[in-house]
Amino acid sequence: MQGSNWADGNPLAFPLSASDSHFVIPYAELEEFFSLLVSTAQARGIPCAITSGMACVHFGVAATTKDCDVLCNAAKSDEFRELIARTPLRGLFPNYRGNISPPLDSRWIRGGWTSHFTWKTKPEEACLDIFGIAPRGSSSWDRELRGIYARPDVVAEMKRTNREKDWPFATALGGQMLDEGDLKGWLHLYDGDVLRLCAKQTPPPEFLSALRPLLRLFPFSDTLLLKRLLLAERAFWSELDELRVKIYQKPLRSYTAAVRRASAGGRTLDQSHEIRIECALTHLPFQPLRDYGLDRMVAEARANVGVTVGPDVLEWLPAAANHFHGL
Amino acid sequence: MSSDVTHPPITPAQRRRLLKIMRDFHVRAFGEELARINFLPEKQRKQAVAEMIDHARRKGVKLTRPALGVTP
Repeated sequence: MQGSNWADGNPLAFPLSASDSHFVIPYAELEEFFSLLVSTAQARGIPCAITSGMACVHFGVAATTKDCDVLCNAAKSDEFRELIARTPLRGLFPNYRGNISPPLDSRWIRGGWTSHFTWKTKPEEACLDIFGIAPRGSSSWDRELRGIYARPDVVAEMKRTNREKDWPFATALGGQMLDEGDLKGWLHLYDGDVLRLCAKQTPPPEFLSALRPLLRLFPFSDTLLLKRLLLAERAFWSELDELRVKIYQKPLRSYTAAVRRASAGGRTLDQSHEIRIECALTHLPFQPLRDYGLDRMVAEARANVGVTVGPDVLEWLPAAANHFHGL
Repeated sequence: MSSDVTHPPITPAQRRRLLKIMRDFHVRAFGEELARINFLPEKQRKQAVAEMIDHARRKGVKLTRPALGVTP
């Protein structure tokens, strides 16, 4: 996998010189490495799939990320961790990334925690994030995988974040689903013009409006109302995401400090894992979102939108109760 | 809105127009160059993204995200 040179036969390439190749591992090599890791895991009976940025690139939406995000069946966490621990990149074995990373263990992965791994290549690390629950997922992510990738609708739901930059990715993936004949693509279009123009070609099916009331605005000719409700939808998912991240971050402070105190000196991934389990048992709840209350989260996000956008939009917000699949 | 759960398949003409709508959206949302890359065949698309990312990294752009313990 080493030393691939994309300049060969490609007029668009920025050739990697011999000196350059010592400094950065080419993205193509990283992609091949992570693809092989996931396909090996699948071959060993570990349900897993690449999602987020690398999946977006696969589905035709360029994302500038070199890190890899992987969904893994929580029950297979131990097997996946063992595979990761024994998979070198350029001769280097991985470890957990920083003191903040929760352990890759089914008890926490099932609760929505993310484990971070790194191969300390120079000058940039190669990073892998593993999680068992797709944030905002409304269905089983491990159903109908696209080879080593999660489905576009899973990736699109994960893009409903509190980061502005993520929303065009959701719309692009929704458009692609429609292009493939999957009408659930209507659930992922967050651009007023796209909604209005697509509606001129084919109407959204009525059954989807139960999941996304905004689709009742078909044919979307009231552009100002459409803009306002799209704003409200995005504000709602953003509030929900912000709240969700805060709930996870709270116990992470004491956990990170405990891992730091216990981790002096060099450790293998296996040793680091044992330390993290000990610290997590004391500091990290298994199910922080359930402990907080899923209905409470949704109610708080809705209340915030009622203040920031206006109480009249609340009836148009999507049903979010089914977006905690697997928790 | 259509009440038919088994919605009729879109015609080739509708598909062409949907593709045009999405192409225009990609240009608006991501810019002309990324839009061009997004509609390349898979192999060329991945190659173009790889070149873009490697070029940025060689220029010192840091693309690694912070570890947060939770996925945004």
